[in-house]
Amino acid sequence: MFKGTNASAGIGIGKAAIIKEVEMVIRPDKVASVETEVTRFRGALADTVAQTKALADDLATKVGEKEAEIMNGHLMLLADPMLTGEIEEAIKRESVCSEYAIETTCSTYADVFAAMDDELMQQRATDMRDIKTRMQQVLQGIKPVDIASLPEGSIIVAKDLTPSMTAGINPANVTGIVTELGGKTSHSAILARALEIPAVVAVSNVMDKIEEGDSIVLDGGEGIVIVKPTEAEMNEYTAKRDQFLQEKKDLERFKGVPTVTKDGVHIELVANIGNPDDLAKVLEYDGEGVGLFRTEFLFMDRTSMPTEEEQFEAYKKVAEGLSGKPVIIRTLDIGGDKEIPYMGLAKDENPFLGYRAIRLCLDRKEDIYRPQLRALLRASAFGGIKIMIPMITCIDEIREAKALIEDIKNELDRKDIPYNKNIQIGIMVETAAASLMADVFAKEVDFFSIGTNDLTQYTMSVDRGNDKISYLYSTFNPAVLRSIRNIIKCGREAGIMVGMCGEAASDPLMIPLLLAFGLNEFSMSASAILKSRKMITGYSSEELQAVADEAMSFVTAKEVESYMKEFVNKK
Amino acid sequence: MVTAKVVIRNLTGLHLRPAGILCNKAILYKSRIQFRTDTTTANAKSVLSVLGACVKSGDEIEFICEGDDEQEALDSMIKVVEEGLGE
Repeated sequence: MFKGTNASAGIGIGKAAIIKEVEMVIRPDKVASVETEVTRFRGALADTVAQTKALADDLATKVGEKEAEIMNGHLMLLADPMLTGEIEEAIKRESVCSEYAIETTCSTYADVFAAMDDELMQQRATDMRDIKTRMQQVLQGIKPVDIASLPEGSIIVAKDLTPSMTAGINPANVTGIVTELGGKTSHSAILARALEIPAVVAVSNVMDKIEEGDSIVLDGGEGIVIVKPTEAEMNEYTAKRDQFLQEKKDLERFKGVPTVTKDGVHIELVANIGNPDDLAKVLEYDGEGVGLFRTEFLFMDRTSMPTEEEQFEAYKKVAEGLSGKPVIIRTLDIGGDKEIPYMGLAKDENPFLGYRAIRLCLDRKEDIYRPQLRALLRASAFGGIKIMIPMITCIDEIREAKALIEDIKNELDRKDIPYNKNIQIGIMVETAAASLMADVFAKEVDFFSIGTNDLTQYTMSVDRGNDKISYLYSTFNPAVLRSIRNIIKCGREAGIMVGMCGEAASDPLMIPLLLAFGLNEFSMSASAILKSRKMITGYSSEELQAVADEAMSFVTAKEVESYMKEFVNKK
Repeated sequence: MVTAKVVIRNLTGLHLRPAGILCNKAILYKSRIQFRTDTTTANAKSVLSVLGACVKSGDEIEFICEGDDEQEALDSMIKVVEEGLGE
């Protein structure tokens, strides 16, 4: 059994089809006529461009425009006058064959990209090597590896799949992909997920361990590859595969279905996202909106503060993408535990109890908070944006933030800039103080969202990153559960929406309790939405009251958890 | 020779797609079109050169155009960046 990186979920069973590029020996052979050689190169370049264009068109129709972009990127590189100029220059200068001139020129660029401190740029190195090989193959009359004609039940085993190789895959015949190189975000992994082919990448030395035709099973969710499985293993994985496919089919049925409990309680089932690109996933899994849009990505990995305009564009994009559905955007939640050099934050002795989130934002209104709130208000004209303020501990903070928002609204009114005048302002309830004062906060804000990760951490006084005390970090702890129940009760009594955006919201053992407490909105990673909808629509919140009462009678986290486990499994 | 500064607003900076759009615009002009960053100078007509400049969102770049249609080229480059390079 070999371990690799889980690149695309699912179980693949089949026979190994080893994919190897024909080895080319590239030597600095001298040419007699430099002019003839340049003409030869230009001819090969034109053929490569034509080939690439055909692959791009094929991908666009077979998989999608987005996947075809990889090939369109290659076309841009092949059309680069600097690259082709340098290759021709090398041919002329050294009187060498085109193959060698391509080798040296493209490799230099590939190495430069590979050394860059940026994952997207590093992927350009793969692109450079890919176009290099293809041009050389055209020159040598070598046919590219024909993946398209692999027989049914093939598991592709390769050192690495170049984008042009992946483009030829026929998903009806390929049941799995195993590669020696690559990562979760490499082209082959992205395409495998788009085609829904199980894949395990970065399995070290796998090319030496697998032979053509070997029987193989792989688990793309766990990153496991088994070569020549025993009969028992084969049966185990066949059952797993059937179950995986059945579950997937089962969950498909929950797309487009309203999230309503058996006794008619409507629940909002929404997604947590980290940047505008995550929208596609939300729509794919039928999220009913966004319950937490983290804005930190706008501020990380850069050298200067994002401008109001830049933020406005990002918020607007998400709001428009969800066409009016609710989008809860959390204002900057950052502190001394994150490296953001341009913000000039001192290292905090105790970052989780220190200068962070709203505390920092209210202290830096002019350069941080005002531009963000102004961008949010302006973007609210384009969709269902609600503003959520994190890390609130006392009422003064929310009053000060609301006063600032009012001030910006007045300014926008004066300048006739459109925004949603009734925009909702809510808070993350994640500190013990906010939980104890939830009845007071409920009268000051439009909604609550419970952040269970921090609420557990602050309630239990436990650093969630510390393994030695991990036994304390459980949302099932009765203290945390009482806190959650109280927050929901206070919110409901005041008539405001209460949601949850921590991990607990998608925990199958927690969902029945939260329904019984009266939670209105569950926000989770998009991939958990359909499974949660299946659970929620199977319960009646009435019948859950007795379960919740029983669960709340226990005094340890273990007792609560095992009781809930028993209840859920019995269902 | 004419020059003008502009700030890159694309969320991902000048990555392959925006860089390609930038170059496709640049090659429409006869003038030599370059841009300067804090650390380097890039040829705006070459995708590789643009990528190599590693321009991130929020960075300021200065276009330098030189040739018969330099003013037209400069205006066009500033416009295409301000329009968000296809994003």
